[in-house]
Amino acid sequence: MTPADLGALQRAGLTWFPSGQVALRGPLLRLAEACDGAFARLAAAFDADEERHPASLPADRLLRADYLRSFPHQATFPMRMVPEEANIEAFLDGRVLDGDGHVALAELSPVSDLLTPAACYHLFSAHEGEDLVGPLHLTTRNTCFRQEAEYVPLRRLWSFSMREIVCVGSKAEVEGFRQRVRACVDAFLQLIDLPIEWLTATDPFFQPQRNPKHLLQRLQPVKKEATYGGDLAIGSMNSHYDHFGVNFQISRDGEPAHSCCAAFGIERWLFAITDRFGTDPARWPALEDAAVQAAAMTMGARV
Amino acid sequence: MRSSQEIREELRTWILAKAKRLEPETLTGTTALFEERHLRSVHLPELLLLIERLTGAPVDVENLQAGDFRDLDTIMLRFCGEGRPR
Repeated sequence: MTPADLGALQRAGLTWFPSGQVALRGPLLRLAEACDGAFARLAAAFDADEERHPASLPADRLLRADYLRSFPHQATFPMRMVPEEANIEAFLDGRVLDGDGHVALAELSPVSDLLTPAACYHLFSAHEGEDLVGPLHLTTRNTCFRQEAEYVPLRRLWSFSMREIVCVGSKAEVEGFRQRVRACVDAFLQLIDLPIEWLTATDPFFQPQRNPKHLLQRLQPVKKEATYGGDLAIGSMNSHYDHFGVNFQISRDGEPAHSCCAAFGIERWLFAITDRFGTDPARWPALEDAAVQAAAMTMGARV
Repeated sequence: MRSSQEIREELRTWILAKAKRLEPETLTGTTALFEERHLRSVHLPELLLLIERLTGAPVDVENLQAGDFRDLDTIMLRFCGEGRPR
């Protein structure tokens, strides 16, 4: 990203923090809300129930989903100091903050949570043990955290907003959802004139060459990314098979449920839309209208 | 050196030992081993080693392609030089 590009985004409402985070206001904030509104419209076409979940979730839940063993390099942990008066006094008696901006922490409480790495983990955890009588369609949005080797404004962030649409059900129900949501997203992208390619991808495993899950993803692809400009994944379709059904004991017809999610990284959409149409809001597409139309075209939808 | 039939039989035996819910009569050459969740990622390293031992040739992991382990027929075709049975 050139300084001129960053300057234009800043004038449209972006504040960039080198820690890999952004603040939004003005036109860019309204665009972010319009993006999420459009994805929520697509979710409504599937009668997806909205859920809201906390910023973190218990590590044992993520261990069950194998996140901690597969992606430990991306994990971010919320920490607290031991809340005893003497410990807090020790903190206050110290430097509090050193010259490099590092907090001079006192004794820490044990860490048992992770900051949300992907919005949908909460959903599987929340529906643990359910015996489904029909397909479950859910949607949620959360701020997600992933440590990366480097950060780029709007393109690669430590914390970012993710909207997901999820289906949990039988293998056939989930495959039907996958096809319909893909058609819906394709129609939406066509209506707003945002060109992408669907590329096969693998998840960013730690030491992938030593992880059989990475090899299996190569042999049996489970992830397609909606890729803008050749290298920016603004959304993805992920087939989980029965991974979450098995690990969270969610069943359908007496078998571990299958699941699939469509995920949208909202800040990356801001990059793609401003890259394609510029930073003048007058040139931006009417996203929610397009989402309603796309859903109607592909689903005969109730939105 | 094992014949392709011997290799196929040994692979069948190994698959049936790992796939607890798969009956011998339902395991055909086209049964989707991973897609139908009979085998899982944890089985892959052992399967690779087994193929290398049975064929006496290394498997080039870097050049593996999507679908190479889809089913027994594909494994035999890809790694053991066997055509699909008629």
